[in-house]
Amino acid sequence: MELLSQRSKVKANLNYLGEGTEFAIIYLKNILLTLLSLGLYYPWAKVEILKYHYQSTELDQARFSFHATGKEVFKGFIKIYIVVILLYGFLFYAIQTQNQVLMIAAISIFYLFLILVVPFAIHGAVRYRSSRSSWKGIHFKYLGDRTEFFWLYMKGALLTIFTLGIYGAWFHVEIRKYIFSHLRFGNLSFNFKGTGSDLFVINLKFIILFYLTLGIYSFWYYRNLVRFYVDNTSITQNGKEVKFKTNMEAGDVFELLFINGLLIVFTLGLATPWVTVRTLNFFFRFLEIEGDLDTNRIQQASYDDFDDAVGDDLMDFFDFDLL
Amino acid sequence: MSFKANFFDGKTSRTHAASITASSVNWKIRYLDEKSIPVEVSWNPQKIKKSDVYTKGLVAFTYGDTFPFQRIESTDDSFINYINNSHEHLSSTIDVMLHKSKWRSILFLLTGILTIGILTYFYVIPTVATSFATKLSEKNVIDFGNYIFRVISVDLKMNEEASRELQNFVDEMDIESEFPLDIYVAQSEELNAFALSGGKIVVFSSLIEKIQTKEQLAALIGHEVSHIENRHVLKNIARNFGGAIFTSVLFGDINGATTILMDNAHLFSQMSFTRGLEKEADMYGLEIMRKNKLDLNGMPELFEILKKESPLDVPTYLSNHPMLKDRIVYTKRIAESQGNIVANETLESKWQAIKAAL
Repeated sequence: MELLSQRSKVKANLNYLGEGTEFAIIYLKNILLTLLSLGLYYPWAKVEILKYHYQSTELDQARFSFHATGKEVFKGFIKIYIVVILLYGFLFYAIQTQNQVLMIAAISIFYLFLILVVPFAIHGAVRYRSSRSSWKGIHFKYLGDRTEFFWLYMKGALLTIFTLGIYGAWFHVEIRKYIFSHLRFGNLSFNFKGTGSDLFVINLKFIILFYLTLGIYSFWYYRNLVRFYVDNTSITQNGKEVKFKTNMEAGDVFELLFINGLLIVFTLGLATPWVTVRTLNFFFRFLEIEGDLDTNRIQQASYDDFDDAVGDDLMDFFDFDLL
Repeated sequence: MSFKANFFDGKTSRTHAASITASSVNWKIRYLDEKSIPVEVSWNPQKIKKSDVYTKGLVAFTYGDTFPFQRIESTDDSFINYINNSHEHLSSTIDVMLHKSKWRSILFLLTGILTIGILTYFYVIPTVATSFATKLSEKNVIDFGNYIFRVISVDLKMNEEASRELQNFVDEMDIESEFPLDIYVAQSEELNAFALSGGKIVVFSSLIEKIQTKEQLAALIGHEVSHIENRHVLKNIARNFGGAIFTSVLFGDINGATTILMDNAHLFSQMSFTRGLEKEADMYGLEIMRKNKLDLNGMPELFEILKKESPLDVPTYLSNHPMLKDRIVYTKRIAESQGNIVANETLESKWQAIKAAL
């Protein structure tokens, strides 16, 4: 009996509690500092903005926490810029010489680097973000193997190219499955059980219906995508499965995007921080955790003190975003 | 003083409702464990890490050098006040101030961003760009011009005979130039002429066909030579590049700068200069003509031709130049005050040779 009474009877829901004006101050302060420092402050700005979103996200009356530091992210950028400058240097040098062989070599190396670096970037980014994220003092941890992930990625990328993009949906799901199955939160593990064919059908319906409905179908498409990602994600706690669920409807998506659009257009972009807060708030409002997640009995596992932000920075450099 | 907070021991996710007695020497955290046995944890304030960003009504701290880290979160206002007033390293005075006067802070920050943005874009970048372009070594300027020319010239059909004759014409003129002048005539319907850094000038054949006197041609050459001598192309590129980097930093899009690098070199032939640089080129061109004792009226006449040839559709040549009407007025005024004009038979014969070569 005592064990049962310890359980949280309140349904565990995620909430985003950020406020527009508060975030605007943080956002604008960081833009100003980035400007004043000619861009050097950017890593610190990025970290502070992420910290705000983490700290504004609540589950069971405790906030999430992001432990990255501007210094780690800055070091990552320095490494990337050194490599990029060397690559560009070699490329321009080769063009300068007008030597055909050298030019082909330089261009090949340049593009090969851009292609091969992506799986490493994803791996590094997931590992770094996980290592630096916690809730109630319990840390996330990513146990994926870099080499294994690299070959998984390459196989999927090549199949996608050879099937003219058709395999893309399966590729995407494979990557997600791999990342989620190697993600831990203390002694909790994650699972993604969506299938490539489901995602393919969602995308196919979008391609067909988008033109027929003059684009109006986009709202249903967005809802379907969110549902596909959320409803197929689950957590396992001591052998018991806890599911995520979202009950978002197309009308909600329309309201979100329509008002966001108006806000951005009529304020010439000044409303960006408010729009960010609205969007996050919207997403978490519809997110539910189904089943009994015992939020008081998660055990801390070992810590992965991974301070290399290169992968995370590369994702930024390529303008990709996680999730 | 005693405050309320939630304590997490770092071993499990259990939330412990704790009371904190804080002083500048140590923080005592007291709570009841699972079996309702009182536990007391002591924190050294020097080792407490403020783990997060300013968030209204909330403070959170982590503690410890080795994993697992302990953590407290509190929404107790008296605790927040205490932190802001007594622990400087755990709160940021600037943040507290900014968040106190919300809308005024937003206005203040926006004004700051705008002021610095405008200053940087319209003053700092042009100044730095101009100084960079001026200081670049002669060899680098020539190399850069050659690089662009190699890319552009693939699409240009050169009239070699006319190019040779025009080169003779320019060589005959008395022009002091930092760079060796290298002149080309390209076969084209377009009314265009452009200069590349390092001494290359390309004039399109149909423009020469429209020109009636050697003075008009000399005016055109003088104008283009001025772009080369004053490194206008470089100044413009440096300015555009600086501007692109700036906007990409501002909007957090690092790729913007790389796009510029990858941009098509053909754009250089369509380069538009600011009105200021164009006027400078006109004045310098007139100086070259004066030195050669040529009738300065060639310049306004050249503009008259261009004005006639480019009615409402956007003219390819001189598109971003100052209004042709204004240029005719100010060059004519200078031409009127000219005293010394000498007939130059050699130059005249070279001009006739160009006409014949077209």
